[in-house]
Amino acid sequence: MQRTLVVDDSPTIRRMVMASLKDVCPGGFAEAGSGLEALEQLALAPFALMILDLNMPDMHGLEVLKFVRSHQKYRDLPVVVLTTRGDATSRGEVVKEGASLYLTKPFVPLALAEQVRSLLNGGARPADDVDRNPHG
Amino acid sequence: MANGDDEFISGFMDDYFEECDEHLATVRQILLSLEGVTGVQPIAPSILEEMFRSFHSMKGISGMVELRDAEMLAHEMESYLRALRQQEAILTPAGVDALVAGVDALERVIVARREKHPGPPIDDVKARIAAVIPHGLPAAAVSAALAESSREVTPEWIVTFVPSSELSERGLNVDTVRARLRQHGTILQAVPKILPTGVAFEFAFAGDLDEVTREAWTSDGITVARASAPLPAVETSVELLEGTGDPKGIGLSPTVASASHYVRVDLARLDDLMRMIGDLVISRARMADTLARVERRVPAIEWREVHENSAAIERQLRDLREGVVRIRLVPVGEIFRRMPFVVRDLAKQSGAKVRLILEGQETEIDKYLIERMMDPILHIVRNSVSHAFEIPSERQAAGKPEEGTLRLSASTAGESVVIEIADDGRGVDVEAVTRRARAAGMSVPEGPLDSAALLELLCAPGFSTRDETDRGSGRGIGMAVVKSTIQQLSGTLALDTEPGRGTRFTIELPLTLSITEAMIAVVGDRTFAIPQGSVREVIEIDHVSLRSIEAHEIVPYRGGVLPVLRLSKLFGITEQARRSLHAFVIGSGLEAVAIAVDRITGQREIVVRALADTMIKVEGIVGATDLGDGRVVLILNLQALARMARRDLGGANAAAQPRSA
Repeated sequence: MQRTLVVDDSPTIRRMVMASLKDVCPGGFAEAGSGLEALEQLALAPFALMILDLNMPDMHGLEVLKFVRSHQKYRDLPVVVLTTRGDATSRGEVVKEGASLYLTKPFVPLALAEQVRSLLNGGARPADDVDRNPHG
Repeated sequence: MANGDDEFISGFMDDYFEECDEHLATVRQILLSLEGVTGVQPIAPSILEEMFRSFHSMKGISGMVELRDAEMLAHEMESYLRALRQQEAILTPAGVDALVAGVDALERVIVARREKHPGPPIDDVKARIAAVIPHGLPAAAVSAALAESSREVTPEWIVTFVPSSELSERGLNVDTVRARLRQHGTILQAVPKILPTGVAFEFAFAGDLDEVTREAWTSDGITVARASAPLPAVETSVELLEGTGDPKGIGLSPTVASASHYVRVDLARLDDLMRMIGDLVISRARMADTLARVERRVPAIEWREVHENSAAIERQLRDLREGVVRIRLVPVGEIFRRMPFVVRDLAKQSGAKVRLILEGQETEIDKYLIERMMDPILHIVRNSVSHAFEIPSERQAAGKPEEGTLRLSASTAGESVVIEIADDGRGVDVEAVTRRARAAGMSVPEGPLDSAALLELLCAPGFSTRDETDRGSGRGIGMAVVKSTIQQLSGTLALDTEPGRGTRFTIELPLTLSITEAMIAVVGDRTFAIPQGSVREVIEIDHVSLRSIEAHEIVPYRGGVLPVLRLSKLFGITEQARRSLHAFVIGSGLEAVAIAVDRITGQREIVVRALADTMIKVEGIVGATDLGDGRVVLILNLQALARMARRDLGGANAAAQPRSA
């Protein structure tokens, strides 16, 4: 069973994501606190899924996504972009670069789990949201 | 949102507070370093970036724990920094002020949540930050200067790192390699590359790499080659940083990078560990007692072996204890770091000019203690800045430098940490204090007040030298709380003040709680433990040398006399009939007093257990300890007992006056 790679520069968010997805991702988790770390982890072991923050210190999540999608080896890795609501990068851009799902923080744990579950079951719905406060 | 997430959120609050603490500390430190630099030259983009990151992260996690005010404040400050970054504008002093106010408000919002209080209003602060955000005015001249300074560096080396599981197990990964490079120079750019075998990271690097280093790195999966061409234009390489595209900003900031070398530990786990060690200490004491009993029945040669083993265990136990204590120690700087902001803010309001000097920030103290000392120290500092300093013209007239000095220093003295807060202001107005105390219905002894009596008045509940509306101290917790907090932590507070010269508060705290060296004393049929740190000297008093003056006893001591307090009288215990008494000398100067017991029977390490029931909290009793033989004895705070006695007897220390005369 392959693990899920959780990429976010906030350790608190990483823990929240892992806690939310623990029933959905039975393979367990690996963490990365930056874009480069994420790529390193990807190079070292196969993953079932990547949860990817965009606004990170060294390498923007969008660049991570581009890198991943431009290489045969990672082309099919499901990538859930989980970014802070209101940040500059648009959903369109992210989906264009090949994200499987575009979700925003703050997220509702159960909703995140549901979205990821249906993605892993083959029912990707890239436009859906887990936002706590969609009108905000 | 009411969908059962409360439980989820509450499980992450500790993580949240901890991460916020780190970010707040980071931005405070940066803001401090910016003082005086602002408005003169552009701030390095990497610094703006680091602050931006911290606010961005706090915004994200505050949203997750539904602390809306914190989320909004962080958002506002993030927006400001983004605007600065994108427009390469100059951070103005007004901007720094707004950020300082914002960080302050943010912290208060977070602390309020932690302490389950309603948070402060944030609208004003939010508006203040919003007001400094520049709107679409690129600062052309500045951006040119910025370009000069940051893009001049050309890469000397191309450093390639190919990660592998084997290297990762040895702790070599892209982060540690980055940190290693940073020790030798500057990373200009970091680019991931795909190889047939996996991923590689290419760092364009400027710095000193001698042949030996380059050679040594090869076995760590790091290859170094001379850079042949200048760094490719930013457009053609993978641009790693959002925003400016400034090569200097690439790479983690040192503070973030070093985070991976630390482990976060819940303080409660360390407490558990400490308690276990405490149990071990008790068990060992019990074993030592048993050994002492069987000594005569064991052949000498075998006895020596047993004895050596026992001694070794004692030593190792002490090392183990010190090791755990050290884990709990944090630099006092954690408290001190925020003082410059407090001082700056208050000085502005009161019109005084104050220079803050911080000393001994690296002094280490138990995390538990420092957390509890935060408010008391803040309060004293606030008081000093709001009240102690004359306005510049007054100071000049008094022949003092226009700028006042507030010195905040920490140092270690044996098992104690001493924190001093000293100002060179006007000194405490003793008459005003006396007047006010009398007006408040307190009993004030006639004649000149010594500093201890003065402090007693200042710390009396309900006493305040200024109107409560006074902003600086009005926010504070009051000297009464300051004093009781320090006492609860087995510490002491002392005051030194001289009219026109200044005031000094001295706080002495134990380095750590829990285990301490103590003397065991017997009074009548009772046994007590007295922490050694508080004892200046132990003396033997012959009954014949005791003299009585009115109701008080004194004893000759070092060419003077010393008042004697008998524990037997304080506690109403019948003394054993003996020719002499043992006594602990505590305090110094006019405060010195001998506390007499029947006998001091020994000296040992004791484990301090707080008295769990707050209903039976008695001043003068620190806690209880198990002596290892099943006997539970009370641990005394002699200073507090002496204070109580002075209060009860009224002017007992008058007996000591002749010595100073």
